Amino acid sequence: MGKNKEKGKVIVVTSGKGGVGKTTTVANISSALARMGHKIVVMDLDIGLKKLDLILGLENRIIYDIVQVIEGECTLKQAMVKDKRFPHLYMLPAAQTRNKDDIKPEQVKVICEQLRPEFDYIIIDCPAGIEQGFRNAIAAADSAIVVTNPEVSAVRDADRIIGMLESAEFKDIKLVVNRLQASMVKSGDMLSIDDLLEHLCIDLLGIVPEDRKVLISTNKGEPIVLNGNSAAGTAFNNIARRMNGEELDFPTFEDDSFWSKLRNLGRNLFPNK
Amino acid sequence: MLDFLKRIFNDNSSRKQANDRLRVVLTHDRTGASTQLMETLKEEILQVISRHVEIEGKPDVRIIREGRRSALDINIPLKGR
Ligand SMILES: Nc1ncnc2c1ncn2[C@@H]1O[C@H](COP(=O)(O)OP(=O)(O)OP(=O)(O)O)[C@@H](O)[C@H]1O
Ligand SMILES: [Mg+2]
Repeated sequence: MGKNKEKGKVIVVTSGKGGVGKTTTVANISSALARMGHKIVVMDLDIGLKKLDLILGLENRIIYDIVQVIEGECTLKQAMVKDKRFPHLYMLPAAQTRNKDDIKPEQVKVICEQLRPEFDYIIIDCPAGIEQGFRNAIAAADSAIVVTNPEVSAVRDADRIIGMLESAEFKDIKLVVNRLQASMVKSGDMLSIDDLLEHLCIDLLGIVPEDRKVLISTNKGEPIVLNGNSAAGTAFNNIARRMNGEELDFPTFEDDSFWSKLRNLGRNLFPNK
Repeated sequence: MLDFLKRIFNDNSSRKQANDRLRVVLTHDRTGASTQLMETLKEEILQVISRHVEIEGKPDVRIIREGRRSALDINIPLKGR
């Protein structure tokens, strides 16, 4: 740990619905926090369907995985993969040929307790769904980040997950809205940030726009926060800064003025202009 | 002209439809109350009330949301003497 003796925080990144951007969020906020000088470990609990190693570009460096740690085949230290691009970013890989039922919430808690004294943040990549994998991922967490997309089915699942987190006594649950398209919100074809907050009633942590550079950075295995001039990279970096205690304003996309309505009408009446 | 203005302000966007549908579906998800259950509730509440006082006009029984909590909102107009 750094200067103070405070123990590391365990944060789970979850969503209910699959494919909304949990792993992308974990990879990028972890990289951003690590770049700020924090000691970070990311824990991939998507056992059987791991992706975090690919998104971080660490797939070739894995020797052991978390199931082997739990089953005593190796030590926790041996299984941790160091990301050489940052001073203190480590990944604890998931097993690919096992499944979610091969580990138990209690075992995740034991591992997190071992990691807490060594790290500032332990960030858990949760699998989609509400079954065993979800229960494993939330077992040791102090707080949760719920990722959603501005889309009805993702919001419905997010609401279910928030309800389950509340039942599990989570007090700190924050929302990341991923893949927002401001132009579609303006033209009345996408749920806005205010709409999502009205439905889900939790605090907002970040807004990440739809950005083609996310796919490009995934192709390369480079976190997008390393790309200084991408909109999504900036957004993930801002999330990390907020987690670090900075108060940053959220961008406002909404434009409900008379003139924008008139403009939209024009656009709808003459769509090919 | 009136028609023109109406078309500007009459929000029929897919965003509004998404919001309307979410309001209904999240209320049902959270409380487990289906449309059928709401109808039954309304009927039985009205039965109980009308046993004691006379109802007039359109009674309304629905679930409203207050933050992440839900409440049963019952509005039953009574006949004056
Ligand atoms: N802001 C964005 N802009 C464009 N594409 C994005 C954005 N965020 C994520 N994606 C894409 O969405 C896909 C799913 O992302 P990701 O794997 O992070 O989701 P997930 O929630 O972890 O999925 P799963 O539930 O399968 O674990 C990926 O192809 C990713 O490149
Ligand atoms: Mg994932």
